[in-house]
Amino acid sequence: MTIVSATATASRAGSAGGIRRRLDSLTVGLAIVGLFVVVALLAPVLTTYRAFELAGRPIEPPSVEFPLGTNGVGNDIFTQLVLGTRSSLLIALLAGLGTLLVGATIGLLSGWRGGVVDVVLMRVTDIVLALPRLPLLILMGVYLGPTLLNTALVISLVFWPPSARVVRSQVLSLRGRAHLTASLGFGAGTWYSLRRHVIPEVGLILIASLIASAGRAVMLEAGLAFLGLGDPSRVSWGRILRDALDFQALFFTDAWSWWLVPPIVALSLFLLGLTLVGIGFERRANPRLSRHSEGTAR
Amino acid sequence: MAQDAETGAERGTRASLRPPSDGRVNHLSALAALHLVTIFVLVSLVFFLPRALPGDPLNALLDPEVGGTFTAEARAELEAHYQLDRPLGEQYVRYLGRMATLDFGWSISRQSPVSSLIAARLPWTLLLMGLALTFAAAISWLAGTTSAWRRGSRSDRALVAVLTLARSVPDFAIATILLIVFAVLVPVLPVAGNRTVFAQYTSIWQEAGDVTAHLILPVSALTIGLLGSKFLLVRNSVIGSLGQEYMMLARAKGLPIRVQKYRHAGRNALLPFLTLLGVQFGFAVGGSIFVEEVFTYPGMGTLILDAVDARDYPLLEAVFLVLAATVLMANFVVDLIYTWLDPGVSTGARS
Repeated sequence: MTIVSATATASRAGSAGGIRRRLDSLTVGLAIVGLFVVVALLAPVLTTYRAFELAGRPIEPPSVEFPLGTNGVGNDIFTQLVLGTRSSLLIALLAGLGTLLVGATIGLLSGWRGGVVDVVLMRVTDIVLALPRLPLLILMGVYLGPTLLNTALVISLVFWPPSARVVRSQVLSLRGRAHLTASLGFGAGTWYSLRRHVIPEVGLILIASLIASAGRAVMLEAGLAFLGLGDPSRVSWGRILRDALDFQALFFTDAWSWWLVPPIVALSLFLLGLTLVGIGFERRANPRLSRHSEGTAR
Repeated sequence: MAQDAETGAERGTRASLRPPSDGRVNHLSALAALHLVTIFVLVSLVFFLPRALPGDPLNALLDPEVGGTFTAEARAELEAHYQLDRPLGEQYVRYLGRMATLDFGWSISRQSPVSSLIAARLPWTLLLMGLALTFAAAISWLAGTTSAWRRGSRSDRALVAVLTLARSVPDFAIATILLIVFAVLVPVLPVAGNRTVFAQYTSIWQEAGDVTAHLILPVSALTIGLLGSKFLLVRNSVIGSLGQEYMMLARAKGLPIRVQKYRHAGRNALLPFLTLLGVQFGFAVGGSIFVEEVFTYPGMGTLILDAVDARDYPLLEAVFLVLAATVLMANFVVDLIYTWLDPGVSTGARS
């Protein structure tokens, strides 16, 4: 790993800003995501109202009392925005880890065992990959009941194939390597070899894959809430958008500017942060890629 | 949106995962079998999921304004009418038979033939997604090649930055932004439906103009949403080919820049690009749900939402069969292109 990245760095000696730029992508991404984590953790301090409390009159413009105004029934939009951060982070964490767990297990098993296991698992992967995922997600979500946990579960069950593929191909490329063969030759057990030699090597890939799944999950949760299929007991950025668009007089007032714009900005910024973190990790995991996508960080 | 996350590279590994077979015919028949299994799995899922979980399609028949419930006799009669009273196994076998013969039955919530509902909606979605994919493909191909050719330049960096940002914005947010701009700031374009309500057209051109005007915003939203993944794919594969020896040879031969750029460098990106395009076309029918919802466009997306909402089994089943069929047809075409463009696949030489 280190040798590969060293050569890759050497080969691009011409671009002095390369390393700094690569750091930038990760740092900026982490800073953005970190900001949202802080907001989510400090939610009780930052908010003065409850999410669905009738705090003021309907569609009051922003003021000291209501930093982002109120919505159609008089809920404080700032409070909803801050609490929506929690939903997005929670789904990112739950669905991200869930997807990774399913995907990595199948990928490891497939790549490590090979043979019939591999063929069968990869066929299953092909089939899941060919399912129309968004409609299926909507269908399963509606019938399972729209709690955040169920959404995370369904996302994990439908979106694992990319992780499984990546992990499998990494494991396959490791299988033939000398140190692994030697380790097995000395009588190392499967679990020992996996823990000692395989998992550390696929670690960065796993993180990159986790970030990608997390970003997708955030998008999907917001999307489901936007379609009115989200958890009815929770605030979510998607739901704020939905409520706004359902409000008949939205565009006859200025309400859209404090009601529609903030959740879009929050959602896009958070997803951008995750994308940047993902790019950062992907480049570390795969230096060849970093040569290819030079300049992506900006 | 979610479907875009899949990159061509991921899919590119597909070919090498298949067991080596000794000819194109074998290869293609194995693929066809796989696709049939996939369609069977999906069709079965759509049958069992709604029935395994709570919810009752007959409730959709009740007037929500009035409320109330069915009497036991009325319910029994209705269940018998829709054949919901039969054992699950029998329903399943009948259902498979109906799906195989494309007999979609009668929509419970809309009280009309399912096939005519789909026939009324499918063309609009295909029109939306067909146009969006064409525009996105053309733009990302040109921009990707140009960007790669001038990699590191200011215009390249700006393009990469803008499209990375665009890729982070979900398409319902893009659609909402367009809605804000064209409903409030510059109200010049229609923002809802596929044509003006109650419009009396004097000529076919007037009608075409009206339909086109209604297409602009949804197609733009979809195009922007589809651009990012393809642009980065083209750019990265073209950059990958720039250092190759055949590029040096092309330059040494003194070939015109245009030929170098599109015939030599661009060709490297063709296979993953077409693959991604095929995959995205496969998901086209379900891919515009969000955008259709924002612009209340009468396509398959809004039909899916209505069907799920009403727990309308016959409609749901047919809609998902159409979804699956599109995915599989597109996948099959992609596989054909693969076999055609890259002979190594069919002989198993790559595995």
